[in-house]
Amino acid sequence: MKKPILQIENLTTSFKIKDKYYMAVDHVSFSVSENEIVAVVGESGCGKSALALSIMRLHNNQRTKIEGEIKYKERNIVSITEAQMNKVRGKDIGIIFQEPLTALNPLMTVGDQIEENLTFHTKLSKEKKRLRTLELLTQVGIPFPTRTYKQFPHELSGGMRQRVMISIAIACNPSLVIADEPTTALDVTIQAQILELLQSIQKETKMGIILITHDLSVVAEVADRIVVMYAGQVVEIGTVKQIFAKPLHPYTRSLLNSIPSAVTNKQRLHVIEGIVPSIVNMNRDSCRFSPRIPWIPRHAHEESPELHEVAPDHLVRCTCYKHFYFQDHRGVKITNGIT
Amino acid sequence: MWKFILRRFLVMIPQLFLLSLIVFALAKQMPGDALTGISMDPRISPERIEELREKAGLNDPWYEQYGRWISGIVHGDFGTSYTHKIPVSEVIAERIWNTVFLALITLILTYLLAIPMGVLSGRYNETWIDKVVTGYNYLGFATPIFIFALIMLFVFGFSFEWFPTGGSVSSKVDARTFAYYLSKFHHVILPAFSTALITTVGTVQYLRNEIIDNKFKEYTRTARSKGIPDNKVYTRHILRNSLLPIAAFLGYEITGLVGGTVIIETIFSYPGVGQLFVSSIGLRDFSVVTAIVMMLGFATLLGTLLSDIILSMVDPRIRIE
Amino acid sequence: MVLLKIEDLKVHFPIRGGFFRTVVDYVRAVDGITFELSEGETYGLVGESGSGKSTTGKAVVKLNDVTSGRILFEGQDLSKLSFGQMKPYRKDIQMIFQDPYSSLNPKKRVVDIIAEPLRNYERLSVGEEKKIIQNYLDKVGLSPDSMYKYPHEFSGGQRQRIGIARALTLKPKLIIADEPVSALDVSVQAQVLNFLQDLQKEFKITYLFIGHDLSVIRHMCDRMGVMYRGRLVEEGTSDEIYENPQHIYTKRLIAAIPDLNPESREKKTHLRKRVENEYKQYRSKYFDDKGRAYDLKLISDTHRVALP
Repeated sequence: MKKPILQIENLTTSFKIKDKYYMAVDHVSFSVSENEIVAVVGESGCGKSALALSIMRLHNNQRTKIEGEIKYKERNIVSITEAQMNKVRGKDIGIIFQEPLTALNPLMTVGDQIEENLTFHTKLSKEKKRLRTLELLTQVGIPFPTRTYKQFPHELSGGMRQRVMISIAIACNPSLVIADEPTTALDVTIQAQILELLQSIQKETKMGIILITHDLSVVAEVADRIVVMYAGQVVEIGTVKQIFAKPLHPYTRSLLNSIPSAVTNKQRLHVIEGIVPSIVNMNRDSCRFSPRIPWIPRHAHEESPELHEVAPDHLVRCTCYKHFYFQDHRGVKITNGIT
Repeated sequence: MWKFILRRFLVMIPQLFLLSLIVFALAKQMPGDALTGISMDPRISPERIEELREKAGLNDPWYEQYGRWISGIVHGDFGTSYTHKIPVSEVIAERIWNTVFLALITLILTYLLAIPMGVLSGRYNETWIDKVVTGYNYLGFATPIFIFALIMLFVFGFSFEWFPTGGSVSSKVDARTFAYYLSKFHHVILPAFSTALITTVGTVQYLRNEIIDNKFKEYTRTARSKGIPDNKVYTRHILRNSLLPIAAFLGYEITGLVGGTVIIETIFSYPGVGQLFVSSIGLRDFSVVTAIVMMLGFATLLGTLLSDIILSMVDPRIRIE
Repeated sequence: MVLLKIEDLKVHFPIRGGFFRTVVDYVRAVDGITFELSEGETYGLVGESGSGKSTTGKAVVKLNDVTSGRILFEGQDLSKLSFGQMKPYRKDIQMIFQDPYSSLNPKKRVVDIIAEPLRNYERLSVGEEKKIIQNYLDKVGLSPDSMYKYPHEFSGGQRQRIGIARALTLKPKLIIADEPVSALDVSVQAQVLNFLQDLQKEFKITYLFIGHDLSVIRHMCDRMGVMYRGRLVEEGTSDEIYENPQHIYTKRLIAAIPDLNPESREKKTHLRKRVENEYKQYRSKYFDDKGRAYDLKLISDTHRVALP
């Protein structure tokens, strides 16, 4: 058994909207081990980014309530002070954001932005910091580190900027890196390079990675385990092999069938009826996905859906998966060509 | 950079030429001329005045008058003041430093007031301190500067007698002594402060909005994700980005202040270019008026150029070649 | 029948410099491309950012100036027409944009957004107009009461459908879809893509589908062209491009597509390494001395590749 780096237990993040708190992340539990990539997938509004920011405690304090436990190497970081948390951020846990142009300070050179991390977490001398920064830039595959060191973010291409973003995240050798849609803004060839880079860094440092993404094909390429989120909850969790070979939850299956490359050419894509419920008006007592599969009878769902272990490490929420089948837009049951 | 500045100066030439035409036309449109004033004097006969007019070239067609005037300006000669009987350039030169001094002090005070207020209310927005600052801003926006200046003059000049109520320096001190400069400063502080208290609100509001804007930007989140304490996030990241548009606005701000001195100098009887402008209009001393307008126009163009240069220096994304 | 024929299209943007801001060079956004669309087909234009694919689409509706070349629509060269002369053709060629959040005027009601093109071309009574709009709203699956709502009241997918309804009202023959699903979640993307296919069946619309997501393009298109730095490097049926890519750039692009099957990871890594080596070794063979792709050459009836 590998050593867990991060253990999340019943993590609940609520946002204050007009004096009332609404749960965006709802009793989420999973763990990340050394040298492991755990992918968190779901559509926008499912709470996956809220989850990422909760782990780093980067939400606006005045409007957010975080409950449950986030244990970084046995230490619960939900309850520590802001000053103590600042010693964890950037040093023990690094984060990579989606859009590297807006996520980097436009007025600061690349070198300064990476060195900042070292300034706050190490006692390195100025020259040592510079050398470490150049080393990092080389590590993330920047062709001319000494030049890029002095450049500003706008002078770099999207792929290069994301490399800089990665070098900021890994500057202090963190044990865990959260990558929040790291390749969504990039072209497909650059995406492949960035994913490869993350994997090669992982090979060296044995860090754990939480990969937040909406792209299931990226997950299939790199992840070890998958956490599928819908409306703030985990609806299915398992290894990549388990989930791609035998997806169970209706949401996971629907997502997989709406991807163009999954279906054979020219076949109709599966469309999930309705929309992701907003956190303000959501029925939290019954199966949250039930309104989007109205043809599945009510008795198929559980009263207050729980996660059930269907195989070792493979968990599914609600009982509706046992009775689920696809139907097309005319209401006819689909039997062929669907996972 | 130098190429850019040179090109901008070249572009200024047609702009200034156009301005000169407008200024000249407007001056000619005004009723009366420099000799209208003395024509009230019964000791001077209308024939004599007409003779003077002819001699001064005031009866020539407008284009000849304009030609004379503009070629004079090109040679640095703005004509002679009818009231002061000395070259206009000398009249202005006497007072321009007072105006520059006033504008500079006003500018410094404006930013000294704006930056702490804007930063505090932006950082702690929606708290009592923000509400106090925003309340002050609304008052500032609503108060006309000439009324506020009169109140300040009455309270601190006449009632408390803390500050002089006119002039730019006390007559009792000798030039180039420490007391002389102290007196200059003493004279400038009330008009400068009165202006700054009102003009600062625009900058406060702007800075506040910039800070609020920038603190929710993604790069700020990145900075916080590095484990930088909140105070440092403000000084290293948010403040710099928020001050950027304000620094860029500096050039325009200067232009606005130079124009604003017209009112403030008149109220505080401060012998600067602004006061000269108002009194020259009253005396129909058009050569002085047109020269000042030309000067203000030039200052405006210089201000915009200055803004562009500042922006290119503080923002690495903007480069001028 | 050929509906749209692009012949040696070039769109160059000037770069100004020097003391008098004279034109010192050009950005060759589109640098001599030729392809054609038959009636009722979906032609995909793929490439990475900066490849010139969007510029090409915009040039067809004259949102960009054309430097040289011809854009033949039903035999008429659009590139030579003035803004006014374009009017009758604008009715036949409509465009759908990427971002459904910024391409709809937030201050206008849905009814006014959809009716705008209609009002430009036809004089209709309020009743007639309402009937037509209701019809199209129904087509795109929006309820009739959405007519009097504003764009912000809709989700991303619904907004994109409003944009499509607007494009449909004039019964266009050609729709240029510029990354129409890039900003949408997969399930919403599926909805819009299905919908575009249904429309094609019903109205016999021809699509020029511009995109960077290769699986979407493959799903939608009969034929496609691969663009790289303003040039077409390969053109063929979707199967030809995916199963048998010939140009090194296409090979790299296809190899980079992530695979949905986690079992094939090793195979994929292997393929990428091989292609990358080939790219490093033979890159120069595929481009001339100026780094420009060669003209397309036929290698089968439908497959064209930029080879020397």
